[in-house]
Amino acid sequence: MGKKEASVRMSLQTLRVLEAFLENPTEQLAGAEVHQRCGIASGTLYPILLRLESAGWFVSQWECIDPSTAGRPRRRLYRLTSMGLRRASEVFASFNRGILA
Amino acid sequence: MSQRNERSTQPEFNGTTQWLIHHAARRTPSCLSARLEEEWLADLESRSSPASRLRFAVGCCWATIVIVNDHSRGRAVAPSPAPATKGFITLADGNFGYFSLRSGTLFLILGLQAAVFCGLIATLAHARGQVTTPRDIGMTADIRAVP
Repeated sequence: MGKKEASVRMSLQTLRVLEAFLENPTEQLAGAEVHQRCGIASGTLYPILLRLESAGWFVSQWECIDPSTAGRPRRRLYRLTSMGLRRASEVFASFNRGILA
Repeated sequence: MSQRNERSTQPEFNGTTQWLIHHAARRTPSCLSARLEEEWLADLESRSSPASRLRFAVGCCWATIVIVNDHSRGRAVAPSPAPATKGFITLADGNFGYFSLRSGTLFLILGLQAAVFCGLIATLAHARGQVTTPRDIGMTADIRAVP
């Protein structure tokens, strides 16, 4: 997955995912948490997360826990990159301009 | 009684959802396969109800199709990557427009159903028009006139 800056198709679901991350841009979210916030089904959610990651908007890493201690498997956590934050803000700003115009 | 039945079917049900996720992840590109399987199984644990777990597993099967499609499209354009214009926001790509693959499939199915429904209505209206011809109505009136 290349980390170069790339364009991303902006569907309504993609916007909802970005909105969930923009609530607290430094927060790391697992797919399950994004589902709880947005209500997007797994079939749509994971392709969106992967697209945004391959476009360099998100980075992901494994949760730093010991599964035996935590009593659950480690989750994959996603976080907005600085470029992703900038581009996502641009997207929402452009939508706001479009609505107000 | 029902709770006991639910408990007895729970391990079997978990096995089914895990099997679905395992097979869905195996069909994704090899570079993502192991990661997605672990990620999906971990996120499956956050679902409590069996129905929710099944929906999640079926969703992962759908996600596999989309990811494979995205991956193959990405590979197809890889030899000549188009540089992203800075500051330009792409609202839609050429393949699906504003709709996702799922929405496109849904609209296709709804369209087909509407077409079949309209066809049935048109056929029924045509058949009904043929059955009740003015001649038939006249004959009925003649029969009624006879004392």
